[in-house]
Amino acid sequence: MKKNSISLKKGFYGILLLSLIVGVFVDIMLKPESHFIWDRLPFFHALYGFFGCIFIILGSKALGHYWLQKKENYYDDDIHSENK
Amino acid sequence: MLEWIHPGFIYILAVPIIPLLKGKVKKFFLLSIPILAFVIVLFMSKGILLSEGKTWVLSFWGYQLILGQIDRLSLVFTYVFIIASFCMIFYALHIKEDGQHIAAFLYIGSTLGVTFAGDLLTLFLFWEIMACSALFLIWYRKTKRSFNAGLRYILVHLFGGACLLGGIFLYFKSTGSIEFNKPFMFELAWKSKNFAPYLILLAFLINAAVPPLHAWLPDAYPEATVTGAVFLTAFTTKSAVYVLIRGFAGTELLVWLGAIMALYGVVFAVLENDIRRLLAYHIISQVGYMVCGVGMGVTGTVAGEMAINGAIAHAFCHILYKALLFMGAGAVVEVTGMSKLTELGGLYRFMPITFHLYMIGAYSISGFPLFNGFISKTMVVEASAMWHLPVIWLMLEGASIGTFLHTGLKLPWGTWFSKSEPICQAKEPPQNMLIAMSFTAFLCILLGVYPYILYDLLPYPVRYKPYNLPHLVTMSQLLLFTFVAFWIYRGKLYGESTITLDTDWFYRVIGKKIIWFCEKPLSAFATNLDKKVMETVHFFVWMSRNPMLALKIKIEEMKMKTPFINPSRLKELEFKLIEKKKNYPAGVPKLGLGVTLLLILIFLSFYLLLYLVTL
Repeated sequence: MKKNSISLKKGFYGILLLSLIVGVFVDIMLKPESHFIWDRLPFFHALYGFFGCIFIILGSKALGHYWLQKKENYYDDDIHSENK
Repeated sequence: MLEWIHPGFIYILAVPIIPLLKGKVKKFFLLSIPILAFVIVLFMSKGILLSEGKTWVLSFWGYQLILGQIDRLSLVFTYVFIIASFCMIFYALHIKEDGQHIAAFLYIGSTLGVTFAGDLLTLFLFWEIMACSALFLIWYRKTKRSFNAGLRYILVHLFGGACLLGGIFLYFKSTGSIEFNKPFMFELAWKSKNFAPYLILLAFLINAAVPPLHAWLPDAYPEATVTGAVFLTAFTTKSAVYVLIRGFAGTELLVWLGAIMALYGVVFAVLENDIRRLLAYHIISQVGYMVCGVGMGVTGTVAGEMAINGAIAHAFCHILYKALLFMGAGAVVEVTGMSKLTELGGLYRFMPITFHLYMIGAYSISGFPLFNGFISKTMVVEASAMWHLPVIWLMLEGASIGTFLHTGLKLPWGTWFSKSEPICQAKEPPQNMLIAMSFTAFLCILLGVYPYILYDLLPYPVRYKPYNLPHLVTMSQLLLFTFVAFWIYRGKLYGESTITLDTDWFYRVIGKKIIWFCEKPLSAFATNLDKKVMETVHFFVWMSRNPMLALKIKIEEMKMKTPFINPSRLKELEFKLIEKKKNYPAGVPKLGLGVTLLLILIFLSFYLLLYLVTL
């Protein structure tokens, strides 16, 4: 099982690296249309995906812990539930 | 030969027949309705039935009620509504309660009514039928929570309906027409002091679940029945997108609202514990792409046409993959009875097929190549690039990251993995649910692999080629590295036993306070006031029997109350008082009924005489 997961990891890293290399290759060879300034940066989408994900996780968790998350029975002492 | 048959009426007319059938015949009948409707729409495409124009027009007080406004826009939405309804009805085939099927059919039929409505009154009628029938899909869960959630749902939607009707009246007053085929001049509304577009937009935005008016969606959808929730995902929000395209295409406000929506849903989904509520927030996120596309859809421009095409394509694909996601999550709820990530886990051993079918929906929503999200969502993003809107582009791509994170990673990991021992016994859901999911998954892959089936239905020519190498590479990079970040931070993404406050806090908390105010302080004040008034009235009636004596009695009473009074004097006065009160006339003798009527007649005839004389 362990050998399996190690080779799985290696395979995954391989794919990651491949996506970066192909990205650079495509940028240089095919010169795609760039609408924005960041289209020119080589690994933009990879970096945006990575840091964007972290930002969303940490930012939303902060928003929740410091403000919006409440106990599950927050709304439960309804007048309506008492009457009905 | 008939010029046209309204597909929505097929569903509505089938409703009375449903309770009359049983067993296999009923199941066959239920499935035959969407098939029949699909055949009608095919005939429309081929030209056997009307494929463009206005039909089924009724005259109403000199105005035209148009039940069949057909063009490419209404046709493409009709296609997806009918195809999705087939999958969903199959999913719900095992339900024995006729009421649930009836509610679903009315819901689908009225949505098609909205899609073909050519005038505002027809639109309003079907809009309200949609809200009422969807309510029952929530209420059929029959729990206290679903009752309350349904109540909140219908209150919000009735408010939206009232806004719509108000807007329609204002629009009619200012333009004299009730036609619904031109965009409302939103930007000019302020200058011309005509607020009709604002009200109508408000109503459309409520149904499209645009924040801050969106809270009804994550509130109600998770409380609906397992099969009902699947129906709910498709029709209300997407018909709202349809009417937005028809009425408000190119309105800049929508671009920003849409982009904010896209991120809003994603942020809230991070915090969610209930799997169906998490998916409900993703509906908001994806509809944000559509709303954003509508906003960018300025008619007559190439980028605008791309945006509208993108919004429609995204609606088409979203209905399919969202239905699949809700079917998968619903299957988990059906089998385990639980819907919270804190209570689920390790189910892969028992439900691998459901997992893989769910994941096809997850790959689609995330925009993986070969699945239908890749061919549609990316069109809207491309439109934002064509319009050179960097902030919007960043927001939409950011929402993509979040979408993959929750739908494709957090939810399945928390439900099917993340625990070494499964939380409870489970098994695959009933056959019909699996078959429905498989068919929907097949459609998702079909469109992903061969997008031209969809592209050919779009109203504007499609100048977009999703499968080009740069695009594939950037998308793959985005998704792969999101996965890496997820894996590193997966510890932070366990479910928490909390709820998250949303804008419904306003009407839930403030509403409760208002009710408390009415029931306690205001009520007490009212009863008190009432008592005091009646006491005053009784006093005057008593006094009127013998005013002089009443005055004397009151003076005696006052004397008794004076301080430093002699006790014997007090006794004297008391005695006099009792005497006086005994002599006080009792109530006025009550007249009999006949005498009273006679008196009334005499007075009325006297009044009549007076009136005739002075005329």
